[in-house]
Amino acid sequence: MDAITNLFPWITNGPLIAVQVLSGLSVGMFLFLVSVGMSLIFGVTRIVNLAHGSFYMVGAYLMVSLIEVLPDRPWAFWVALLLAPMGVAALGALIEMTLLRLIYHRDPLLQLILTFGLLLVLGTLVLLVWGPDTKSVPRPEALAGSVRVFGQPFPSYYLLVLALAPATAVGLWLVFYRTRWGMLIRAATVDREMLGALGVNVATLYTQVFAFGSWLAGFGGALAAPTVAVALGMDGDVLTTAFVVVVVGGLGSFAGSFISALLVGELQSFGILIFPAISIVLIFALMAVVLIVRPWGLLGRPEE
Amino acid sequence: MVDAAGDRQVALRTVGLRKHFGGVHAVNGVDLSVPAGDLRAIIGPNGAGKTTLFNLITGDLAHDSGQIYLAGEEVSGLPPHVLCRRGVGRTFQITSIFRRLTVLENVQTALLTHHGRHFNILIPARRLYREPALALLERVGLREQAPKPSGILSHGDQRRLELAIALASEPRLLMLDEPTAGMAPRERHEIMRLVARIGRDTGLTIVFTEHDMDVVFAVAQRITVLHQGAVLADGPPLEVRANPDVQRVYLGQQVAEVRG
Amino acid sequence: MAPAHVGLAAGLTVLLLLPLVLPAFFLVLLIEIAIVALFATSVNLLMGYGGMVSFGHAAYFALGAYAAALLVKKGGVPMLLALPAAPLVAGLGALLFGFFIVRLTHTYFAMLSLAFGQIVYTIIFKWTPLTGGDNGLLNIWPPDFLRSPAAYYYFTLVVVGLSLLALHAIVSSPFGYALRAIRENPRRARYIGVNVRRHQLYAFVLSGVFSGIAGGIFAFYNGSVFPDFAYFNKSFEPLVVVLLGGVQSFFGPLAGAFGFKVLEWLISKWAPIYWPLFLGAIVIAVIVVLPRGFVGLVEGRGWWTRPATGK
Repeated sequence: MDAITNLFPWITNGPLIAVQVLSGLSVGMFLFLVSVGMSLIFGVTRIVNLAHGSFYMVGAYLMVSLIEVLPDRPWAFWVALLLAPMGVAALGALIEMTLLRLIYHRDPLLQLILTFGLLLVLGTLVLLVWGPDTKSVPRPEALAGSVRVFGQPFPSYYLLVLALAPATAVGLWLVFYRTRWGMLIRAATVDREMLGALGVNVATLYTQVFAFGSWLAGFGGALAAPTVAVALGMDGDVLTTAFVVVVVGGLGSFAGSFISALLVGELQSFGILIFPAISIVLIFALMAVVLIVRPWGLLGRPEE
Repeated sequence: MVDAAGDRQVALRTVGLRKHFGGVHAVNGVDLSVPAGDLRAIIGPNGAGKTTLFNLITGDLAHDSGQIYLAGEEVSGLPPHVLCRRGVGRTFQITSIFRRLTVLENVQTALLTHHGRHFNILIPARRLYREPALALLERVGLREQAPKPSGILSHGDQRRLELAIALASEPRLLMLDEPTAGMAPRERHEIMRLVARIGRDTGLTIVFTEHDMDVVFAVAQRITVLHQGAVLADGPPLEVRANPDVQRVYLGQQVAEVRG
Repeated sequence: MAPAHVGLAAGLTVLLLLPLVLPAFFLVLLIEIAIVALFATSVNLLMGYGGMVSFGHAAYFALGAYAAALLVKKGGVPMLLALPAAPLVAGLGALLFGFFIVRLTHTYFAMLSLAFGQIVYTIIFKWTPLTGGDNGLLNIWPPDFLRSPAAYYYFTLVVVGLSLLALHAIVSSPFGYALRAIRENPRRARYIGVNVRRHQLYAFVLSGVFSGIAGGIFAFYNGSVFPDFAYFNKSFEPLVVVLLGGVQSFFGPLAGAFGFKVLEWLISKWAPIYWPLFLGAIVIAVIVVLPRGFVGLVEGRGWWTRPATGK
């Protein structure tokens, strides 16, 4: 027992653990936004969008630009937070209409390779527009400091994230289960052809879904921007982690993404306490265990 | 291929085999006993559970309860590739071959796998088991087609190829799921006569499902009738045809059409 | 048979004589083409012959490169003795990750392979004490007698040539036949007695081994190794090469590597920073614009384009 407390001195420090758990939830929240968007797009269009991390990145970079452009007022942050995801959604809609529409009937692996190409293109475009330097987004004044949670300092900004987490999940649930549009989406994940036969404009629905999924990723990036270094390579990092979340949670499962995102967020958070690079090993271990026990993810279904 | 002594005389036995999907009992307590060398037809209306039964026996589906015995050994729940090693061969309702391989390569691959040489990376496979493969193709009438990509073969020829592939694994029990599906009547009789001949020559036990009663009565040695997941009747063709339950449930007017 | 052999012998002779004619720059380009060709062919073992598309194979390339580099840099081992570590370590990595990856199919397979590739990248990137982290390992040079472009060119020719020979033997072997059968029809493969998952894992490991060899040779050619050898951009390259050259033929990736490297050279001369943009755009264009037949096998139903023999 002593050996353990020597190795992990924080293990009996309740408040510290509590704060780490909350941090993990925040990180999980960003992951959830990206993953649920990817899951949603896959569920309806059957395309795994490898450029989804790019949308996250563009959301963050748009925050940078918007904050620079808007006057230095308290409301600037919130306006930027509103506008950035919308910009990403517009980009997503554009890509869907010009490019993805052409490949819906193609082999899924070609679709993957194509979105992989899109990932490269978007990454370079970001470099072209914003340059190679790392950017940052300042937190809004109201949330710039920290509060005391169980006596431990905790960044106030994360309180926003933690408040938004249940709000977004509930919001998504309402959209999917209480609106007509959400019902169409759920129907589309089950049987697309039938939907078309019933007179629904499936093409428009696809565009809307893709735009919404992109919006979610962009929102994740915009929300995360004040907490990370906004730099090239964000797309790859978040994509990998989002993949892990989706593989563990099950592609196409909303609840799966939620649980899995929180799990992975916690692993990343606690990993840092043990040893900086260990979180990657922990995540690998989680994936390995889940895949052995449930190959299609915790709540996933096998592919057709 | 078939050993004497005790249970080994029964090539295939199922006891109380059950499988349900949700609330539907697709296979509801099937007791089947197929002696070695038999040519058994399993018939029944659509939804009677024939294909499910097949899939249970060949390891495609996990059973809910019951046992399956192959020549006296229990094989319930074994995966397909292990069952193949134990001597179960199978063809499918929708022809299942290696389309982009040539006809010859299809059979060669089956042969080299059967002989356990499929992990060998050191020798070229082109000449391996070439003669035995050609012999098998000869037997099903496809020898001239050997160098062609199998995907371009006619439907009937593809089914012959699938038969050859299944035979390459030297099965003791051959399960044919609707072997004549999609064929014209004359071709159906041809292929089933071929199957019957192979069975007689090699002592192989053959179980097949079929909808065409002409074919069934022409070749089958025994018939098992399934109805709603259970065995309704079981016996030689004449006996089954005369069975009033069978007539009522299934054969109906087809009895009148089939000539003795 | 004879004409192909004559063609091969002629081609080989040309390759052997090139250093006498070409300036060093082109020899260096040929070295890179050879390395990419080997990498892409090893990926094609999995993709074209096995029907499994890996999005994270750069991991094994990088593992090979780092294994050899570490032995030389930290162990003082001479290059020729260190090089065999490349396929060994890469193969072990492929065994470890492949064990999990082959449990899945198609899209999940691709995603998981990508994730594992990035995990390898992250481990290399973060484990600074061992790998040098972001700074990589520098001054990984071959021994003096291999240091000139012509010398390393011959060395690469020999290693890549032998590797391609081995890969060709593998696809033409009984193992290769069974692998193709799995690609065509996994269910039917089971019913002839193939343990599909185990076979796919072996193919995955073999593919990783040869990717590792490519990585090892590249390390000494480049003189240094960096974490981004494992980054997904690098995993993309063999996929593009295979796509360009033809998925169904053995020498397709070789042709594709040639075209790819020439294209890269031309574009990088002009605007190197935009190379990923062009790469991505080219691939998108190829997939969207060109008809199904060209991309052949990957579409699945294009069996009529050419018979799937070992050539």
